[in-house]
Amino acid sequence: MGTIVELHQDPKVSEVKETTDLALFVRTSNEDLVTWNRQRIVDALVRETLVDFDTAEAISKEVEEFIFSTKISMVTAPLIRELVDSKLIERGLEKARIMHTRLGVPLYDVDQMIVHPNKENANVPHGPEATNLTLAEGIKKEYALLSVFSSQVGDAHMRGDFHLHDLGFIDRPYCSGQSLEYIKRFGLNLPNALSMAKPAKHPEVLLAHMVKFAAALQSHFAGAIGWDAVNLFFAPYLEGLSDREIKQLAQMMIFEFSQQAVARGGQAIFTDINLYWEVPRHFEKVPAIGPGGKYTGKTYLDYLPLAQKFVWLLFDVFKEGDGAGRPFFFPKPLVHITEKFFQTPNHQEFLNHICEVAALKGNTYFVFDRGQTAKISECCRLSFKLEAQDLLDAHEPWRMRYCALQNVTINFPRLAYQAEGNDTTLFAKLAESVELAVEAHLQKNAFILKLLSLGERGPLSLLTMDRDGSPYLRLQRATYLIGMVGLNELVQYHTGEELHESQKAIKFGLKVIAYMKLLTDRFSQKYGMRFVLEQTPAESTAYRFAKLDLQKYPEQAGKVIKGDKAQGEVYYTNSTLFNISAQMNPVDRVRYEGLFHPLIEAGALTHIWIGESRPDKESLANFIIKTFKLTKNDQIAFSPEFTTCRACGQTSRGLMEKCPYCGSAEVDGITRITGYFTKISSWNKGKIGELRDRYRNTPYFSMREAVSPGVEEPT
Amino acid sequence: MTLFTKADCQKCHYIKDHFNLPSLGIQEEILGEDNAEALAHLAWHELIETAQKELPILILDDNTAVVGAIPIKKYLSHQNGN
Ligand SMILES: [Zn+2]
Repeated sequence: MGTIVELHQDPKVSEVKETTDLALFVRTSNEDLVTWNRQRIVDALVRETLVDFDTAEAISKEVEEFIFSTKISMVTAPLIRELVDSKLIERGLEKARIMHTRLGVPLYDVDQMIVHPNKENANVPHGPEATNLTLAEGIKKEYALLSVFSSQVGDAHMRGDFHLHDLGFIDRPYCSGQSLEYIKRFGLNLPNALSMAKPAKHPEVLLAHMVKFAAALQSHFAGAIGWDAVNLFFAPYLEGLSDREIKQLAQMMIFEFSQQAVARGGQAIFTDINLYWEVPRHFEKVPAIGPGGKYTGKTYLDYLPLAQKFVWLLFDVFKEGDGAGRPFFFPKPLVHITEKFFQTPNHQEFLNHICEVAALKGNTYFVFDRGQTAKISECCRLSFKLEAQDLLDAHEPWRMRYCALQNVTINFPRLAYQAEGNDTTLFAKLAESVELAVEAHLQKNAFILKLLSLGERGPLSLLTMDRDGSPYLRLQRATYLIGMVGLNELVQYHTGEELHESQKAIKFGLKVIAYMKLLTDRFSQKYGMRFVLEQTPAESTAYRFAKLDLQKYPEQAGKVIKGDKAQGEVYYTNSTLFNISAQMNPVDRVRYEGLFHPLIEAGALTHIWIGESRPDKESLANFIIKTFKLTKNDQIAFSPEFTTCRACGQTSRGLMEKCPYCGSAEVDGITRITGYFTKISSWNKGKIGELRDRYRNTPYFSMREAVSPGVEEPT
Repeated sequence: MTLFTKADCQKCHYIKDHFNLPSLGIQEEILGEDNAEALAHLAWHELIETAQKELPILILDDNTAVVGAIPIKKYLSHQNGN
């Protein structure tokens, strides 16, 4: 790629003004200058397309003639390619034109990218590495739409009927979940690595392996990297350490993951750590692996006290926040609340502890595993339910590796606009969309399979490495996610009421999701693959769909779209969430949003925005217990807001225009965007619109504790 | 009242064989791969996980649930005055 052809005047014959005396030089991507050679056009056409030799010859001559006739002083490779492509179009060779097309970026766009930040994903800071990422993503996105997906699938994405996530990462699966056991047992022994490390003997080394492996995994997955039962699997390395030393390790873990901005594009590694107060039933009798990758002779049940100590101290660190008292953005701690949690001694004290962190900093995610369900959670809310085979694998926990291959999100409100109030049409359109989303999954799956088939010499060598009798990526256990944006607006347009406005509206919403769930079940059976529903985080998709629908369905979308249309800060309500601005009691929100969660197998979440209020830990703990016992809600998170000052470095509660300490206007707001904390200045316009609308539950959570560590009240 | 059943569920058939559902004011909803209405109704009553473990389920007029053939039989027999 990147061949530039320049037209230079030969100095020796500069007096002669005949075009034929001009020498054309080709600047190749090997930083080499070669003379113009028409044959290269022929070769490219024959190599890249199915065009016959004579046609290629004819096209090359026409293009050469044209270039020579223009008398321009320089031509570029993209221009030559476009000229060749125009000749292909003239001959009706559309397929050949697509095969011969050049993927690239206009100069203006590159200039914009280098100078301005990328707002598609607030987790990407602005910098040279981020620009590289954006440029590469742009090319791979075009490649995916032209070469990986059928035109039917590609067009549906372009129109905004659905959204194919992470097209810029087309050559990677979506996200990954695993446990520390893999590196504890096999060390850090990665294909193509410069050195191989044996299983760690010391806790600091285990942590270093974890961080490096996470970075290696992040460069092979588009989304989150989740770790199961981190406090439990770390515990055998903590024997004999003082509380101070364990706290030091907890600090190192959190700072390491929160400061890994060296990863791709300067992004922090999107890390989820799953934590337990109890020893999960399926790990109780599992032989524990300790220093050097050796069995310690004990089972994990024996490590309960150390695992509890570690998780307690991890939350001490979350409570303190970073050096400026701000919440850590990563890793995200997901605490599993299970039946066994409530049977484990001191659970109330621990629940109060993590609720205090939730109230002060918002970090804690509460994941509810009711009955015998066991889950690994990751990404913004994605979780993998462990099935019978997984529970057998649990005896050798390094085998427990899960991935989601791709995420396709359907534009729900558009289905309602097209159905014009007719139920039959609405469900038929939904079925068509799901079928096409399945088609998209089959196409991406085929592409990833092709890359994996190249084995340890291919681009996904890390995922094919075989240390335990099966490749690292266990494709047979992969899930294929189908998400939704704007159930609320679909129901609103179709029935005249939003989800929070009537039971009838909720029931209709449930019917839509139930229908979708049954469809995915049928496709799963048909293809022997796991198609499951997910609540898409839709950080930018909710904005993209809203913008597109305002153009394509202005009258219909105008009636239900949320946000500030005049400012262009428009959005659809995410997934199956209720209107973000509805003044609902949070207990009702958790319960009614939770009605949808059992249908959404890959994970669902209710956000409770608490703004500047600071609920006391006991009332939050009570809220959590009630949510577990009285609802079907899958997961909840409380999101406070902060203002951090670039002038004086202080962090205060709530979103403010000016720093309450020094009065400076050089402030950043911080809160949760979808599934993680970030600075508001990096948000897209749709999310800014949503932020303005968020109902902050202030009347419910108005009780405030005196002073929180790290975030002090200004006096 | 609503009785949630499945086509291949013997315990469900047991209840249906022993009682005349319509005469008791019971509407049957058969869960299956093409019945979104029934699944949505089940979700509304927060019974999806329960139904994965045990059927039939009887929803009473006060929205409480009786789960399993034996408890349902007892309940309905009692209602019938048997
Ligand atoms: Zn300040």
